[in-house]
Amino acid sequence: MRVPFEWLKEFIDIKDNADEVAHRLTMIGLEVEAVEHVDGDVVFEVNVTPNRPDCLNIIGIARELAAMYRTPLKFPEHDILAETGELDFNVDILDTELCHRYAGRIIRNIKICPSPDWLKNRLEKCNIRSINNIVDVTNYVLLELGHPLHAFDLSTIKGHLIRVGTPNTVKGQGATAKIKTLDGVEREVSEESLLIWDAERPIAIAGVMGGLETEVADSTVDIFIESAYFEPVSVRRTSKALGLKTESSYRFERGTDIKMLKKALDRTAYLMKEVAGGIVCGKIDIYTRRYMPEEISVRYEKVNEILGLRLTREEISRCLDGLGFEMEESADSLKIKPPAYRRDIKRESDLIEEVARIYGYDRIPAELPKATIGIDVQNSRLKTQGIKNNIKQALLRSGFTEVINYSFMGLHDIDALGIEAGDERRNLIQIKNPLKAEESFMRTTLIPSMIKNLLHNLSHGNRELKLFEIARVFISQKPEVRSRKSEEKTQTAFSLEPSAISLPAEREHLAAIYYKEKTKTLYRDDAHDFYIVKGLVEAILNDLKIYDYSFVRSPETFLHPGQSADIFIMDTKIGYMGALSPAIANSLDIKAHKPSVIVLEIDIDSIIPHGMQQVKYRPLPKYPYIERDTAIIVDSAIEASMLMKLLKSYPSDLIEDISIFDVYQGKNIPEGRKSIAFNVRYRASDRTLKDDEIDVLHNSLVNYILDKTKGQLRQ
Amino acid sequence: MIEDLKKTFLDELESVKSLADLSNLKVKYLGRKGIITAELKSLSSIPPDERPLHGKKINDIKQFIEEKLDSRESQLKKEELGRQLLSDSLDITLSGKFTTFGREHPINKILSEITDIFVRMGFSVEEGPEVELDYYNFEALNIPKDHPARDMQDTFYISDDIVLRTHTSPVQVRVMEKRKPPVRFIAPGKVYRCDADITHTPMFHQIEGLMVDKGITFSNLKGVLEAFLHRMFGADTPVRFRPSFFPFTEPSAEVDIGCILCNGAGCRVCKGSGWLEILGAGMVNPRVFENVGYDPEEYSGFAFGMGIERIAMLKYSIDDIRLFFENDIRFLRQF
Repeated sequence: MRVPFEWLKEFIDIKDNADEVAHRLTMIGLEVEAVEHVDGDVVFEVNVTPNRPDCLNIIGIARELAAMYRTPLKFPEHDILAETGELDFNVDILDTELCHRYAGRIIRNIKICPSPDWLKNRLEKCNIRSINNIVDVTNYVLLELGHPLHAFDLSTIKGHLIRVGTPNTVKGQGATAKIKTLDGVEREVSEESLLIWDAERPIAIAGVMGGLETEVADSTVDIFIESAYFEPVSVRRTSKALGLKTESSYRFERGTDIKMLKKALDRTAYLMKEVAGGIVCGKIDIYTRRYMPEEISVRYEKVNEILGLRLTREEISRCLDGLGFEMEESADSLKIKPPAYRRDIKRESDLIEEVARIYGYDRIPAELPKATIGIDVQNSRLKTQGIKNNIKQALLRSGFTEVINYSFMGLHDIDALGIEAGDERRNLIQIKNPLKAEESFMRTTLIPSMIKNLLHNLSHGNRELKLFEIARVFISQKPEVRSRKSEEKTQTAFSLEPSAISLPAEREHLAAIYYKEKTKTLYRDDAHDFYIVKGLVEAILNDLKIYDYSFVRSPETFLHPGQSADIFIMDTKIGYMGALSPAIANSLDIKAHKPSVIVLEIDIDSIIPHGMQQVKYRPLPKYPYIERDTAIIVDSAIEASMLMKLLKSYPSDLIEDISIFDVYQGKNIPEGRKSIAFNVRYRASDRTLKDDEIDVLHNSLVNYILDKTKGQLRQ
Repeated sequence: MIEDLKKTFLDELESVKSLADLSNLKVKYLGRKGIITAELKSLSSIPPDERPLHGKKINDIKQFIEEKLDSRESQLKKEELGRQLLSDSLDITLSGKFTTFGREHPINKILSEITDIFVRMGFSVEEGPEVELDYYNFEALNIPKDHPARDMQDTFYISDDIVLRTHTSPVQVRVMEKRKPPVRFIAPGKVYRCDADITHTPMFHQIEGLMVDKGITFSNLKGVLEAFLHRMFGADTPVRFRPSFFPFTEPSAEVDIGCILCNGAGCRVCKGSGWLEILGAGMVNPRVFENVGYDPEEYSGFAFGMGIERIAMLKYSIDDIRLFFENDIRFLRQF
């Protein structure tokens, strides 16, 4: 809302300069966002909050200043002195729920011409384009008093009749109406939208925009001016349905002053007579639903209790005085009736805010609360937050940089990964009004975002990238299955049928991507990228005191079948990792030689029940250990996990630890075979072991393995 | 004669340069055919009454030579070790094996910083769903359908009843529904609005806060938020509270800090006003209490919310919000 300072000063005597007034306005809740100097005047750009439609005009802002400065408010000239002629005209409000009051005036013999400069200038300062003297006056009064008005060319209104009703009422149930509006657009208006009709047809969309056919034109001689009160919700619905927002609808949907509309009508007629000549005829005013304010009590004690002040009765009533309230004092409270322009005042708390606002927020002392010490013991997310943080710190320390992506994805992201129908990741949550097609679904996997991050950074010449993200994925739940979140909800005050609406499952995921170009470096590191990331996963799980995990070949279609694994904790799949399948990697236009991109995605929520178990101390060993290393040659299909399983299945209490330390294929090893070397550490808890005892045991263990694997000892 | 022997030995010891030389010298004096050994053998050829005295002299010199040889040996060994270590030396000016820690995203860095301050003041940390029921996002917060206040937030809709939460405020309602007062928590998280330009992204982050107890006042709201802002931006930062509107608080306030870029003088960032809007707050609207079954006659409380991107942009002088979600490593590594 643009407010010229000179215009304000017509209604209130202000001694302060413009900057001071701007500051004062801001401090009573009318934030001045900018102060602009225009033609020797100052224009305030005031941000009016949606609860204060009464301040969407000059007089409303002047009223606030008057209350704060405790100075009188002057009202603009609006008395019609020469009112002539009988009115051969009828107004019929058919939907009184939607139109509480409708007033109008006829002005005859006007002369359409450009507006005088004073009028033009004021409108221009408020960023409104001057059209002609008649339209300009309606806009002027809109800015001055906040009431939208509309002028019709009287000669185009058929049957000397104005009807106010919805198509439902006027034309019958289910009917819609067609009207060409001032902007030249033919619009279809729904059955429940309020329109203005003459005897034959719709001539305006009530509170939104007038019709083209009844527009005031250069040839217009007689006009009909409308000043009405339309129900806010109805105007808002119509405006939204048509996608048509106007100065008028903006004010009607926030609520206009039903008592002001007659003054606004008279003020309009007064100004029109002044700038367009003509004869002002009598008026019609149909006021079917009177404004009946409810009495609200504001208790002195409650004011002080909420604000943390010790105001006296006088101080409280002095704050409210000047805001136009009808007030009645009693021993412990004030009884208040708000004026028609303050429909935002509905209960005691609203009045407490008024007191605080006028008293001044800056005068209320800042005081820390005296609160009981407490520590959160009920929060079920505490463990999750802890584990999440552990994982995050581990990744940061391992050189992974954190990214944050939008929670959106496109359908092609899922298609590109080759995720099949029936997969949970296709239970998509779709956004009805996305900004872009590629942002029209909520993510069910974080991998597409990680790939995009990789590509973005590769294009800037990065040769090594380690990125991770911790974010939620959203899995749509079948309607009959009630979601985790909706189960938490209690029944209080929840008006909708809970089982009918099901929120998606929101699961916390970790995703990471690792890419390293094989460039010449000072120091060698020969491990395959797969093992680097796998090592990280193992370290993270171990850090969470999770040891019972396993890696199993992954069936994920977008991963390299030979270099990928599903990750399990006991029998629960918690995620997967591996090289992107060559088909996908090649399509990514990665220039480097032999592109190898490792991705990782873990469902953190499924780790939670296993993580951070209570640690139980194990006594340190008292006796020394004995170690034996052995290399065997086996079929190359035998994988490490299988050999480990066999080794661990050997029945002996003395085996403390087993590890594989070398795998070799090539020279000196027959085709289709490989050598695996392992180390076994033996220890007894009650004595020092003897070498010859362990020789026997180890021999027997090796024979057991050779027998099971059909292998032979490597010499 | 024996004195001459000692002098000769010392001269020879002086010229010893290696352990091999030393070994030769040792043989020359103490070996089976050595000078001292010969002297000791020759004892039998002198008169018996002179033997003890002469024997002692020889033994003294033998001991002297042994000590000198030993000390020289350990000295030579030390020198040799030194030479050996020197040949094992590295070029310590070569760079170390490449290890770099990762960086936390600047948004999460600020988020943790803010969270930490409130946790120290006894607030717990709560979470809520990002895909939210219209009821929690709007209605329970006193924002009915068809209310112009809905225009304050451009909403992504999933269905008529389900939205992407436009703010973290629904967590207030969810927590109060589950718990009896007193409650004191913050709720950080992602929020969504369909808006995209240099200062708006369709997803961003907020932190919500709520404190409800008996006797909580607007004055307390000011106290807690001032303490937070002073901790976050420095103890000298001016703070001001001015009236505003949020449907779920009454009275409502907008909280500004003195512009941290121009120190209140007025600049492009604060649009010349000297102030920066940093958070929204207010006393919980009794209607919200009624919606969750709290008695507004018994309890009162305050709520607040702030946008993390804005704070991060101010703190790091970032002028385009979209940088946060491009995830360019050259950007992320700066924090």
